[in-house]
Amino acid sequence: MHSSVVRVQNVFGFFTTVCFAVAAFIALSDYYSPRTPSATLAVKDIQVVRGRPHYYSTKKEEYAHIRFSLSSDLSTLFTWNTKQVFVYVSASWPDASAPNKTAHVNEAVIWDTIITSPSADHLQNIGPAAMKKLLKSAKGNAIDPSRGKLELKNQKPKYQITAPSGNVANIENVVLKLHYNVQPWVGILTWTPQMDILRWKQVKGGVSKAFKLPAIKVKEEKKKAAK
Amino acid sequence: MLSALQNPRYAAAQLLNFGLILSTAFMMWKGLSVISDSPSPIVVVLSGSMEPAFQRGDLLFLWNRNWMEETKVGEIVVYNVKGKDIPIVHRVVRKFGIGSKAKLLTKGDNNLADDTELYARGQDFLVREDIIGSVVAYIPFVGYVTIMLSEHPWLKTVMLGLMGLMVVLQRE
Repeated sequence: MHSSVVRVQNVFGFFTTVCFAVAAFIALSDYYSPRTPSATLAVKDIQVVRGRPHYYSTKKEEYAHIRFSLSSDLSTLFTWNTKQVFVYVSASWPDASAPNKTAHVNEAVIWDTIITSPSADHLQNIGPAAMKKLLKSAKGNAIDPSRGKLELKNQKPKYQITAPSGNVANIENVVLKLHYNVQPWVGILTWTPQMDILRWKQVKGGVSKAFKLPAIKVKEEKKKAAK
Repeated sequence: MLSALQNPRYAAAQLLNFGLILSTAFMMWKGLSVISDSPSPIVVVLSGSMEPAFQRGDLLFLWNRNWMEETKVGEIVVYNVKGKDIPIVHRVVRKFGIGSKAKLLTKGDNNLADDTELYARGQDFLVREDIIGSVVAYIPFVGYVTIMLSEHPWLKTVMLGLMGLMVVLQRE
């Protein structure tokens, strides 16, 4: 009954039980802290150009470069259980040939960023100089809500978007939207809510006005040659 | 010492007990599989392509039903490429169309380029069918044991030996 093997088993069993209880408590504590993010998103400059998907490709496709301005306050997303917040801006547009012509059935991410909590800074994949700066920026703080405040002016997109057809010029009713994904240290992953859930509110704003992608930008030389 | 060898009735009980533990684990796994509608409801992260969100050895819980809405852009999905065994955990970054024919493109947060290169030859997009689940919950590090076991096969022998020794040494 009281052999050393049984004792080791009991200690290990108790250890795992305590670990899971603490983890469950931390995970549930997420629901207690309110989330009230807000953002304003505006489209700046849009260009549609022709290009190739990669260097060796012979296929020509149209790519839309959408510049935008974003001012957001996501600071309430940062709690003791936040490992990182993945923030992304997507462009969505309807399909003209679909039965429902107004539903935004196409969506593509044009820009994203990872905002780590100071507790997860060391995991970022960045250069040594940038890492030093990042670690220094939150010295002594386990949580840094100020990182949730983004001010981007005329931001270049990270990804140029295209569609499977290869045509994106002259698409109407395109909308930019801000989304986020909160990655916890332990527990449930959460995305931008579609409705208010208890203390978690929807993003206030965070949707741009509908706009139209322009026609393909013709290179200056070609224009001259045509004349 | 070696009481198990002296008492066959006891040895049989031990064996049954061991079988019970194994079958319980198997039933729980399959039960979870039925609930989540995923062939593999719990996966261990094997690569660093989603860092810093997921490290190697982290445990992910998957959900493969679309009760409220379709799988959409921003979700982290686990998919299998045709002809390859290893499941990949990446984020959906583009979606064209709706329903089971919708074209999905994925990308790892820590990768510079999207996954077009990882897909099968001639495949430019995933469809819903390729996905075996979306990540809904996360426990760090717990799955590292499985990585250790698969990378250092001798550990399996050591573990089996220890377990066998424990069964033999146990008295009651």
